[in-house]
Amino acid sequence: MKKIDIACIVDDDPIFVFGAKRIMELSNFCKGFMVFNNGRDALDSLSPLVISGENIPDVILLDLNMPIMDGWQFLDEFIKIKTNKKIVIYIVSSSIDPADTEKAKQYQNVSNFIVKPITVDNLKAILKEITEDNT
Amino acid sequence: MKVSQKNDLKELLKREDIIIEYLQEAAKIGTWEYDTINQKVTWGQITTKIHERPLGYQPTLEEGILYYREGLSRDTITRVFNNALENDEEFDEELEIVTAKNNIRWIRTIGVPVFKNNKCVKVYGLFQDIHEKNKAVEEKLIKQQQFKSTFDHSAIGMALVGIDGSWLQVNNSLLKMLGYTRKELLQMTFQDITHPHDLNKDVRLLSSTIKGERATYQMEKRYFHKDGSIIWALLSVSLVRNEDGKPLHFISQIVNISEVKEAEKNMNKLLEISQDQNTRLLNFANIVSHNLRSHGGNLKMLLDIIETDKPELVRDEMFPMLQSAVKNLNETIGHLNDAALLKIKTIESLEPVNVYTTVNKEISSINAWAHKANAIITNTIKKDLHVMGVPAYIDSLFFNLLSNAIKYRHPDRDPIITISSKVKKKEVEICVEDNGLGIDLELHGDRLFGMYKTFHKHKDAKGIGLYITKNQVEAMNGTIKVESAVGKGTKFLIYLSCEKN
Repeated sequence: MKKIDIACIVDDDPIFVFGAKRIMELSNFCKGFMVFNNGRDALDSLSPLVISGENIPDVILLDLNMPIMDGWQFLDEFIKIKTNKKIVIYIVSSSIDPADTEKAKQYQNVSNFIVKPITVDNLKAILKEITEDNT
Repeated sequence: MKVSQKNDLKELLKREDIIIEYLQEAAKIGTWEYDTINQKVTWGQITTKIHERPLGYQPTLEEGILYYREGLSRDTITRVFNNALENDEEFDEELEIVTAKNNIRWIRTIGVPVFKNNKCVKVYGLFQDIHEKNKAVEEKLIKQQQFKSTFDHSAIGMALVGIDGSWLQVNNSLLKMLGYTRKELLQMTFQDITHPHDLNKDVRLLSSTIKGERATYQMEKRYFHKDGSIIWALLSVSLVRNEDGKPLHFISQIVNISEVKEAEKNMNKLLEISQDQNTRLLNFANIVSHNLRSHGGNLKMLLDIIETDKPELVRDEMFPMLQSAVKNLNETIGHLNDAALLKIKTIESLEPVNVYTTVNKEISSINAWAHKANAIITNTIKKDLHVMGVPAYIDSLFFNLLSNAIKYRHPDRDPIITISSKVKKKEVEICVEDNGLGIDLELHGDRLFGMYKTFHKHKDAKGIGLYITKNQVEAMNGTIKVESAVGKGTKFLIYLSCEKN
C-alpha cells in the first residue's frame, strides 16, 4: 500500500487533532503532519506551498465549525489556487445536518464527508481511495 | 202582459236573486234586520253562516249581541246599536265575534236605522267577514311590535342609519357601547365616530350596497367611544328599500368584539412566545447535534487509541465498562438527534416514492439477519404503487417495522412477515403483518409510540424506533395504527396519501 507523505489536519479541537494524529501514526497512515487550528491559518500557510509546488499535503482533513475562518470559507478560497497536484480533501465534521452533506457534494475537490469520530477503519478507507486513484 | 212574458220576468228575478246571493257569498257579505215593533231579528243566509249557525236560525236581539266578543267588541256594539235606535245614527264598526263553534272572527257590521214619526221602526244592515284582511293587518302590527321590541331590548347594538350616514334610531345597547346619550348620537353620523383607518372600507361597502352590488355587508371596524377609547365591533349592515327599490335606510347591527380582539392579541403574543421557544429548541437541537456529538466522538476516538496503544489498560476490568458507557452515550446522542431533526422537513418536500422497490431494498438490507432467523418475508405490494413521502423516511419506516418483526419473533415458530397494500380513494393503506410475540395493547396501547418505551424484555429493545417511525409518518401527513394479539402477532397499518393525480 502506498503511503501518504503529508496529511494536513484543519481543526480547532485539540483532542480531535491529538486523536487523529495518533490514529494516523498507529495505522501508519502518513510520514508527516501539518496542523492548523482554523481556516485562516491553513489558507495563509498552504497558499504559498501550493503555488511553489513544494511540500504540498496529499490529503486535507477539514473541519467545518472553526473560529476566524470556517471550513466552507476555507474551501471557497482554497479552490481558487491553481495547482497540478491532486489534493484530496475530506470534510470531517460532527455535523449530521443533511444540508452540510449536500453542500459538500457541490465541491469537486471534496472527496467525502466523514462524520466524527474518526476511526482506524475510516483512515484505512481513505488511504485505499487515494492510493487506488493514483494508480 | 202575456203569461209567457210574466214567467220570463219571474225567471229573471229568480236569476238576479241567485246572482246577488252569489255576489254576497263571494264577498262574504250578509244581511240582517231588526224589526223594533215585533222585536224580531232576521239574519240573512251569509250572516247565519258567518255565525256558524244552521240556516233558518233566528236569534233574539240579546242573543245577537251576545255573539260579540266580551269586552271592547260587545261594549261597542251595545253602544252604537242603542245610539241607532235612540238617535237615528248609522254605524259602521270592525269588531270581533265568537261564533257558535267558538271561533273568534273579525267582522264588519253596518247598521242603518229607519225612523217613522220620530220613532225607530227598523234597523237593517250588512254583516261582512273581514277576518283574513284584519289578521294580515294584525300580523303586520305584531311584526312591527316585535321588531321594535327586538330593537329596543336587544343585547347587541342596533341602529337605523340614513343613506347619508346619520343615525335615525339607535337602541340602548348601542348607546351604552359608545357612551353617548341618544340626543348626542342622533346629531352625529357614523362617519364622525369611525376610526379613520376603517372609514374608507365602510363607506365603500355602503355605497356598493346602495348600488345593489350586494344585499348586505359585514366588517370588523373600530368606533371611538365618547371617552376616546377604541371599541372593536363586528358590524352587519342591510339595506331597506321601498316598493320601487329606492333605498330608504340601513339596519345596522353592531356587536362589541373588543374582548375577542384582546384575546386575539394575547393569543398572538402566546404564538410569538411559542415560536420563539421553538426556535430555541431548534438551537438546542443543533447544539446537541454538533457539540455533544463532538465530545462523544472524541471520547470514542480516545478509547480506540487506548485500545491499540495501551494494551495494559485494556486488561483493567473497568475498560470494557468505560467503552460500553461511551457507546451508550453516543447512541443516546444519536437518538436525540433523530428525534430533534424530525418534523423539520415539511410536507412541501414530499415526493412520489415507489413502495414496492423500497420494501425490497429494506428486505435485502436485513437479509442476513432474516436468514439467520429463518424468516419468510413476502412483499405483495403492487409494483407501480407510489405514495407521497420522504424517501429516507419511507426507508426507515420499513427498516424499523421489518427489523421489529424479526426482533420480536415468537420463539416457537419461524417468523412470517407479509407486506401488503390497499388503495382507498386518495389514501394508501400499507400493512406490515407478522406472527411474532404480539403486544399487549390494553396495557401499552397509548404508550406504544412513545419515546424510550419498550414492551419486550429483548436485549436490543431501545424504545426509539416506533417513536421515530410515528413521527416520520406524521411528518409525511400520514397516520400509523397497530393491531395486535399477544402470542399471535402484530399488524402495523400505515396510511399515506397517494401520488398526486
